[in-house]
Amino acid sequence: MTVRNRGALAAMAAGVAALTVATLVACGSQPAEDVGADEAAALASATPSATPAATPTGDASVPVNAGTLPADGKAVPPVRLSIPPIKVTASVNPVGINERTNEFEVPPSVDQVGWYRYGPGLEADAGSVVIAGHVDSAEQGKGAFFRLRELDRGDTFTATGADGKDRRYRVVAREEYTKTKIPLERYFARDGSPRLTLITCGGPFDPKTRHYRDNIVVTAVPA
Amino acid sequence: MQHAMFRRVAAGGAVAALTFAGVGAATMSPAYAASSKVSVVHGIPDTPVDVYVNGKKTLDNFKPGDVAGPLTLPEGEYDIALTKPGEAVDKAILKVDDAEVPGGANISLAAHLSADGKPQITPFVNDVSKVGAGKARLIVRHTAAAPAVDVRAGGKPVFEGLTNPKEAKADVAAGTVKADVVLAGTDTVAIGPADLNLKEGTATIVYAIGSAEAKNLDLVAQTISGLHSAPGGVPSGTGGQAGTGVDTWWYVLAGAGVLLLVGGGARVATARAGRR
Repeated sequence: MTVRNRGALAAMAAGVAALTVATLVACGSQPAEDVGADEAAALASATPSATPAATPTGDASVPVNAGTLPADGKAVPPVRLSIPPIKVTASVNPVGINERTNEFEVPPSVDQVGWYRYGPGLEADAGSVVIAGHVDSAEQGKGAFFRLRELDRGDTFTATGADGKDRRYRVVAREEYTKTKIPLERYFARDGSPRLTLITCGGPFDPKTRHYRDNIVVTAVPA
Repeated sequence: MQHAMFRRVAAGGAVAALTFAGVGAATMSPAYAASSKVSVVHGIPDTPVDVYVNGKKTLDNFKPGDVAGPLTLPEGEYDIALTKPGEAVDKAILKVDDAEVPGGANISLAAHLSADGKPQITPFVNDVSKVGAGKARLIVRHTAAAPAVDVRAGGKPVFEGLTNPKEAKADVAAGTVKADVVLAGTDTVAIGPADLNLKEGTATIVYAIGSAEAKNLDLVAQTISGLHSAPGGVPSGTGGQAGTGVDTWWYVLAGAGVLLLVGGGARVATARAGRR
């Protein structure tokens, strides 16, 4: 065997080693597979709740309401979230929309999460209660929902309402979507079965734009 | 279609405002594709009525300030009559024949007073298009025996010079505003102030009703929900610690691996070929 040949064989060995490392890294970097996607979709398409109660007069089929000015809603905001399987306890703030970006106003402090105050509260008998939190931030490090993608079907957690009541939920689905493809209408629906939706970021990270490509969505139902 | 309806109503000399609210195409079931949602708003003070649609009593003892509906009515023409409670339909105090209900619309029929105080019925087509996330739609309708008015929120005019039986509307940030109605161009308050809770994703329709002369001006409200939109996105990470997938160095490594393997293999192959 010539020296030249030995060099070539060494190069091949190095090539195999490099590809092996690359393959291992690629496998380790794969996101966990989606679970329960069908169930999450079915919850959203469930029959909407009946129209608000009204006092029928005359023809029983025609609801009549006093035309009083609409009063403040009585939604029960979640104030604390406890997710034992991923060791999360976070306070929940009511948040809305960032007027500049038209996006969900996730609380800037990464150890807090935000409840979408325009959607259903914990008392609602229909629709999706949405709580979103940071997976991490460049300045503050890991966020409350850093390990959200580790939640699995059957895991349970507790949301405490402003009324002091604890409500237990059971995870039925965990999905990952490219942000450009996520069906947000489904997760921000105000009809369909009552459910609680947890959202954070995930997937590949682009260090130039400092954004993740994907959203991680966990759907839970009252346990 | 809306104009045809207005003309017919005007011809009938009706003074009540009934609102037919059409269902949005997205929420409409195919079976009712040609139907409209119709609400009825009672804005004539001190005058409870029975409401007849095509000769059939549909609302019994319908009280001023109340909102009925929505009814789902197939597209078509309808005779609407208001009587004093318990009186026969041929003694109607207000009557509109052949009121046209278009398909797929959301309509409000308002029974109200004209600017000069005569009862009439005005149909309004309600804007049930989606509002942006965080927004609410405010629609104000002048259905009172009163001159032109301005509508103010937090002391600032938002709608100016509104006259009977016109409407003004805007999509605004959801929340509670202190609103009042003043005579156009003045600070003379005609109605209010009142706290208006504009719920996100809804249309709040406020009718100014009654008569300035009789000093019974008031507000009646109708709310249409389900007009919400989802936020544009949920940005919830800037750190990159949870990133999955592979970085640039992975491609460099994998590329180098392939090159080394192919290059080395080629050299071995040529060396073997040379020895032969």
